[in-house]
Amino acid sequence: MISVFLPQIILLTKSIAFLGFVLRSISSMDSSSGSEFDYLFKLLMIGDSGVGKSSLLLSFTSDTFEELSPTIGVDFKVKHVTIEGKKLKLAIWDTAGQERFRTLTSSYYRGAQGIIMVYDVTRRETFTNLSDIWAKEIDLYSTNQDCIKMLVGNKVDKENDRVVTKKEGIDFAREYGCLFIECSAKTRVNVEQCFEELVLKILDTPSLTSEGSTTVKRNNIFSQKPPASDASTSGCC
Amino acid sequence: MDAKIGKLFDSIGTFFSGTDNIPWCDSDIVLGFEREVAQAENGSDDEHKSVCLLRLSWALVHSKRPEDVQRGIAMLEGSLPSTSDPLQMREKMYLLAVGYYRSGDYSRSRHLVDRCLEIAPDWRQAITLKKSIEDHIKKDGVIGIGIAATAVGLVAGGLAAALSRKK
Repeated sequence: MISVFLPQIILLTKSIAFLGFVLRSISSMDSSSGSEFDYLFKLLMIGDSGVGKSSLLLSFTSDTFEELSPTIGVDFKVKHVTIEGKKLKLAIWDTAGQERFRTLTSSYYRGAQGIIMVYDVTRRETFTNLSDIWAKEIDLYSTNQDCIKMLVGNKVDKENDRVVTKKEGIDFAREYGCLFIECSAKTRVNVEQCFEELVLKILDTPSLTSEGSTTVKRNNIFSQKPPASDASTSGCC
Repeated sequence: MDAKIGKLFDSIGTFFSGTDNIPWCDSDIVLGFEREVAQAENGSDDEHKSVCLLRLSWALVHSKRPEDVQRGIAMLEGSLPSTSDPLQMREKMYLLAVGYYRSGDYSRSRHLVDRCLEIAPDWRQAITLKKSIEDHIKKDGVIGIGIAATAVGLVAGGLAAALSRKK
C-alpha cells in the first residue's frame, strides 16, 4: 500500500530537505546584499542637544514627527533615494548633542561626505555654539577635506518664538562656506530639500564621488551583472 | 523572470538579514575611552569618572569584537545595582540591552528593552533595538521550523522506506 506512494514521499522529503538548506544558506548571507546602489554616502548630523537632529532624521526617513528622548551616543538610519537617476544609499549618522558624549561622537566624523549642522531658530545659544563649538569640531575631526557642510535652522514652525533671523543664518553660511536652509521637522517644510541639496552638492564634487572616498559600488549578488565602471570618474588627492 | 526571482530572493534576503540600525564602534575608539577611564581613575571627581565609564561602556557594547561586548555587559551588570538616578539607570539598561542583543541573548535583551519602553514609550533608539531583536527572533524561528520540517521529513521518509521494504 505504502509502496504506491513511495515516490511521492521521497520527493516530498527531498524538497523539504532542500527548502531547509536554502533557508539556512540565505540566512548566512551578508546583510547588505539585499539592495543595489550606485553610491553610498555617509552623512553626519551635529549640533546642540535638543535642536531636533533626531526629529529631522525621523521626519526624513519615516515621514513622522515625534517628541524624542535625547540620543544616547550615536544612532544611524539608512535611506535609499534616487537623485538625478542615480541610486543612492544614505547612511545618516545622528549624534548626541549632549556634551558628555562629545568625545564619543567626534570619532564618527571620519569619512563623512556631508555634515549637517543643526541649530534651533528659537534658541540663540544653539546658533552661537555653531562657531564656538561645532565648526571647530569639524576642523578637528573631519577627515574629508572637501566634505560638504550644510547649515540647517530647525523649528521654523515656531515663527513667533524665533530669535535667530534668516539673514544671520545666510551670513554664517557664507562665512563658513556651507549650504544653508531653514526647515521644520514638525511640519516637514524643507526637510527633503535639505538632504537633497546636500546630496546634489556631494554628487557635484568629484573628489567625494570617486572610488576610495565612497564605499565602492556594490551589486546584488543574484543579478550577475559585471560591476559598472562609471563609478570611478576621476582620481583625486 | 530573472528579475522576478531576483526580487523574491531580495525580499527573503532582507527578511533574514533584517534592518539592523544599531551602530558599530571601532576598536581604536574603545581603546581611546579605555585610556580616558584609566586617567580618570587617579584623582578626578566621581561625576567625571562615571561619565567616562558610561562612554566606555557605550563603546564596548557597540564594539565589533565579542570580547569587548562581554566586558561591556559585565561592567554594566556590575554598576546597575548601585545606580540610583533614574535617567542613568535607563541609559545603562538600554546599553545592557544592546550588549545582550549583540551577544545573541535576545530574550534578555527584549526584556530590558521592554522595561526601557515602559519608562519612556517614545524612546526612538529603544524602539529600533526592539524591532531588531524581534526580527532576529522571527528569523531564528523560521530557520528552526525549516530544520524541524527537514527532520520530520527525513524520519517520515525513512519510516516509509522501511515499511515498504518489509512488505
